[in-house]
Amino acid sequence: MTLKIFQKGFNYSQDGRGNRLVYHMQGCNMRCPWCANPEGMKMDGVILTDKEWLRDGLCPKGAVKDGRLDRTECEVCKERACLDPKYRNKGIRLSFEEKPIEEIYEEIISSSPMFYDGGGVTFTGGEATMQFDALKELLIRLKSAGIHTAVETNGSHVRLPELFPYVGQLIMDCKHWNGETHMKYTGVPIDTVLENIRRAALEHGAVDIRIPLIGGVNDSVRDMEEFICLFETMGKAHVTFEILKYHEFGKNKWEECGWRYKMDERAHVTAGQIKQFQKMIVNHGLNYKRS
Amino acid sequence: MEIKAVFNAQELTDLAKKRFQEERSLNHLEGWFLAKEIQRECDERFKDEKDCIRIARTQAEVMKNIPVQIGDYHVFAGTQDDSFARSYALINPEFTVDSFCGYCDPVAVFGDIAPFGDITQERIDELKEYNNHTPYADALRKAYDIAGDATSEAVFFIEQVTGHLIPDVRRLLAVGTKGLKEEIMRNKNACQDERREYFEAMKLSLEALEILADRYASLADEKEKMASGKDKERLRLMKETLKKVPREGANNLFEAIQSFILIWQAMCLEQTPNPFAFSVGNADRIFEPYRAKTNMSREVAAALFKHLLVFFNVADRSWAISQNLIVGGKSNDGEDLTNLCSYALLDAYYDMNLPQPILSVKLHKNTPQELYESLGRFFFTPGCLTPSLFNDDSLFPILKARGVSQEDLEDYSVAGCQEPLIMGKDNGNTTNSWLNLGKILELCINGGISLITGKRLGKTDEENGCKSKLEVLQNIREIFYNNVEEFADRMAASANAASEAVSLLEVPFLSVMMGGAESGIDVRDTKKQGTKYNGSGCLIHGLSVVADSFIAIDTLLRERPEDAQRMVDALNNNFEDDPQMHQYLLSCPKFGNNIEAVDSEAKKIAERVSDIVSSKKNYLGNPFRCDYATPSTHLLYGYWVGATPDGRKSRDMLGYGVDPLYGEAHSGLGFRVLSGMHLPYEKMSGGYASHFGINPNYFKADTFEKKGIEFRDKIIGPLFYNPANNGIQPFYLYVNVTTPDMLRKVLENPKKYAPSGVYIMRIHGTFVNFLDLSPAIQEDIITRLDIESTSF
Repeated sequence: MTLKIFQKGFNYSQDGRGNRLVYHMQGCNMRCPWCANPEGMKMDGVILTDKEWLRDGLCPKGAVKDGRLDRTECEVCKERACLDPKYRNKGIRLSFEEKPIEEIYEEIISSSPMFYDGGGVTFTGGEATMQFDALKELLIRLKSAGIHTAVETNGSHVRLPELFPYVGQLIMDCKHWNGETHMKYTGVPIDTVLENIRRAALEHGAVDIRIPLIGGVNDSVRDMEEFICLFETMGKAHVTFEILKYHEFGKNKWEECGWRYKMDERAHVTAGQIKQFQKMIVNHGLNYKRS
Repeated sequence: MEIKAVFNAQELTDLAKKRFQEERSLNHLEGWFLAKEIQRECDERFKDEKDCIRIARTQAEVMKNIPVQIGDYHVFAGTQDDSFARSYALINPEFTVDSFCGYCDPVAVFGDIAPFGDITQERIDELKEYNNHTPYADALRKAYDIAGDATSEAVFFIEQVTGHLIPDVRRLLAVGTKGLKEEIMRNKNACQDERREYFEAMKLSLEALEILADRYASLADEKEKMASGKDKERLRLMKETLKKVPREGANNLFEAIQSFILIWQAMCLEQTPNPFAFSVGNADRIFEPYRAKTNMSREVAAALFKHLLVFFNVADRSWAISQNLIVGGKSNDGEDLTNLCSYALLDAYYDMNLPQPILSVKLHKNTPQELYESLGRFFFTPGCLTPSLFNDDSLFPILKARGVSQEDLEDYSVAGCQEPLIMGKDNGNTTNSWLNLGKILELCINGGISLITGKRLGKTDEENGCKSKLEVLQNIREIFYNNVEEFADRMAASANAASEAVSLLEVPFLSVMMGGAESGIDVRDTKKQGTKYNGSGCLIHGLSVVADSFIAIDTLLRERPEDAQRMVDALNNNFEDDPQMHQYLLSCPKFGNNIEAVDSEAKKIAERVSDIVSSKKNYLGNPFRCDYATPSTHLLYGYWVGATPDGRKSRDMLGYGVDPLYGEAHSGLGFRVLSGMHLPYEKMSGGYASHFGINPNYFKADTFEKKGIEFRDKIIGPLFYNPANNGIQPFYLYVNVTTPDMLRKVLENPKKYAPSGVYIMRIHGTFVNFLDLSPAIQEDIITRLDIESTSF
C-alpha cells in the first residue's frame, strides 16, 4: 500500500496539539476556489513549475518555450520524461511523491523525538480520506506504536467513522450550513459532511470543527446564526469550534499549477466579523478554540 | 565610602550610558602604537636580560608611560583603547570578501593607523620596518613558508593565536597582587631550575599592574582637588579604591570590578595590538562573592555591571571583538549555579544593549524557569543582543572524554565565539588552523588543479590512482579522505610553526592567571606545558557541501553513469554551458531535511575528518581539537572554492558551521533538528557553530517572560534535552529572531528602526551592531536567516 504525499513538515499546535509532523495527502473531492493547497486537489497530481528555474530544454519534447510550459502538450504526453528522476530538475515537478506506508511509518517513528508537548502526526490534504484504505492501515499501526494521530478532513467520506478508533484528534471542516451553497462552492453534497460531523461529535472524544470564513460565501450575519443553530445540536464538552480567516497564501500556487485564482478582494473578512462570530459561539456556550 | 553613598542605580546607569557615547565618539586608536614604540626602546634597553624579564620590565615601562585618563563619566578607571587597532575585518567598512587575506601578516596592523598629531607617517613606517624584522616576524614567515601555496586559496589556513584564552582572575581578585606575589616568591624559592627567572618575571609583571593602578590613583587625586559636589565624591571613591585594589584583595563588588578592569587592561596591553577574544568566564560566579559581602541589591549591582560592559567597548565600532562573558550553568554535582549576579548581569546587558562584550548562557536540564523568563526579553526585542546558548548536559561528558578532570568541568567557559576551554587551565590555541573540505573536494575531482586560478595545488588523477573521471567519482570518498590526511599533515606542521613563532612573545602577566604562578611556565611555551590542558584548534569548513556532494555523485553514478565526465566539465565552467546538469545536481537529496542517506553521510564525514584532524599532534604532542565553526569564513573560504557536485556555484559560500547549506533545508525546523541529531557532537570537542534564524511570529505568548518559556519549550527542549535522542545532544546554538524583511527595513531606514544607531545582530559567536557591518556581511546575515529552514 502506498500514499501520495504532496507536502510534509512540522508545525506547532496548528493542526492538532503540540509539535506535529503534518502530511498533506494528494487528492481532494472538493473544488473550493479559496483552497490554499490547490496542487493537492487532483488525485493524479499536477505538474508544478517554478519560474526561476523553468528553462527551455527541461522538457525533452520541447514543451518549455521562453520560460513557459505549454500544458496542452503535457495533457497528451504519455512518457512524462521531465518527471523521470534521471532528469531531476528544479523547474518542473509533479505535485506529489508516492511512498509505501512502511516507509512513511518509519519516517514518523524516526521523527518522534520532535513530537513534544503531546504532539504527533497529522494527516491533512487535499483530503486525507481520498486514500482511505492506506490511511486507515497506517493509522492502525501508529496507534499501536503509541503515536498520537490527528486527521484533518472535509468530512465527506462515507466511511469516515471507521477511522474514529485510530484517530486521537479529529479536525473537521464545516464550510457551510446550506446544502445548495455548499454544493455550489465545493462541488460536493453537504449531507454526508453534516452526518459525519454529528456522529463525530457523538462518538469521538476530541473533535475540532473549523469554519473557513470567506467573504461573500459564508460570512453574513445570517450565515453566522445558521452555523450557531447547527453547532448547538452538536456542542459537547469535547467539541471545539474555530474560525479560520480567509487568506490568499495559496494564490501563487494556483499560478504554479497553471490555473487561474478566482478569488478577489471581496473574499477578505474583517477582524470585526471574526470577533462577532467568535462572540456568538462563546455566548451560546460552545467551546471556542484558537490555534 | 561605598558607591551607594555617592550614586543611586539610576545615576550610575546614566553615567554608563554617557560613558558609552563618549567611547563611541572616538574614531582613532593610537595607544597600541605608542606601546609598540615603548617596546622597541625596551628591546634595546633590556637586550641583555632574559626574554621573560625583558618583557616584564617592558610592561612596567608601558604602564609608566602610556597616557592615562579619567573622564567625567568614569566610575571605574581603566580602558582597552590602547590594546586594539581599528583592524577587525567584519566591522571594517572597507572589508571585502575578495581582498581579505587573514590576520597572518605581523605588520599588517600598521596599515590600520593614520598619521595623527605628532604620530607621523615616518614614525609609522619606521616602527613597521622594525617590527618586520623581529625574530617573531621571521619565525612567522617560516611558518607560512611551510604551508606553501595551500594557504593562497585557503585549502587550509593557519594563524598565530593571541588572546582566545580564559584567564582565571579569581585568585588575583581575592588576594591582590600583594598576595599573589608572595605565592610566586614562595614557588620561586622552592624552585631550583631555570623557571626561577620566569617566577621573577611574573612578579615584575604584577608590579607593572600596580604602577598602572598608582597612576590612575594619582590622576583621580589630582582631579578630585579640582572637582566639587558629586564629582569630587566620585573621584575620591575612585582614588581610595585604586589605592587599595588590585594591590590588595577586593572586599565588595565595586572594588572587585575596579580590580578586574585593571587586570584586564594589563593583560590586553601585554599583547597589544589586537589580542582578540579573551573571555571572562562565568562572570556571575566570579563577582557574586563580592556582591554578597555587602548584600548589594540586584539593581545597584546591575548598574555597576553596566560600567563593566562599557569597558569592553573600544572606540567607534567596538573594535575589541569577541570578548565573551558567560552566566549560568551547573556545578560538577549537577546543581544549578545561577545566582543574583547572573540576573544582574542580564539586566545590565538588556538595558545597555551594547555591541560588546558577547553574552553566553549555560543551560542544563534543571536551569530554573526564571532564567528562561529573563532571557525572553533578549530574543523578542527587535535589535536587541541575544545570548549564545550552551548545553552543560552535553558539554560535561564531551569535555570529560577530552581529558578534563571531573573537578574542572564546571569551570569550562567559552573563548571567542564558541570554543569551550577550562578557565585558567586550558591553552587551546583555538584558531590555530583552518581546514577547507570544500576546496579539498574540488581538487580531488579536478586532478589537483584549482578551478579558481588553474594552479596545481593537489594530486593528479593518476597520483590518486585513477585513470578516468568515472573512476575518480567512483572512489571519491577514499580519494577525499586520503587528501584530507595529507593536507592536514601540512596544516599541522605549519600551524605548529606559527605557535612556535608566537611563543617567542612570552606573556608573564597572563601566565600568572593560567597556572604559571604555580608552574613557573609561560602559557605559550612550546617545550614545556604550562597549563593543565593544552591543544590546538582546527576549524573545519564545508561539512554540508561535501555531504551533499557525495550524495549527488552517488545519485549521478546510479542514474546517469554515462554523464560522469559531463558533470566534471560542468563544474569546470561553473555550469555556464550546462544549466540542466546544474539543476539535476541541485535536485539531489540535501542534508538538513531528515533524509537518512545524506544525514548519515554528514555524520560519517564528520567522524572521519575529526579522526584525521585529532590524530595530528601539536607542538607539545597534544591532539588538534576539531571545531566545526566558520566565523564568517564560510564566506571567505567559499570564495576560493569552485563549483561543487551539490550544485553550489563557484565562489558561493560554504555551509555555516554544521548547518545545512543555505536554502537547502526547506522542510522546516523539525526536520532540520532531526538531521542535526545524526552528527557526532562528541567528536567536536573544540566546538561547532549552528544558527537558527527564527520568525518571531511563531511565538504567541503575550509577555517576554512567557515567550522565554515558549522559546525553551519550542527550541531549546527539543534541541538540547530531547528524551528520544540517545546520543550526545547538541551543545551550542545562537539565534536571530527576526525576518529578512525586517533587516532590509533597518538598512533602508536606520533612523526609524534603530534610532540609537545600534541594532544588534548575532553573527556566529559574536554579536555586532548590524549597522557597523560591511555590506557583504550584512547581506550574509540576511541570507543566512534562511527562515524556511526553521519554519514551524
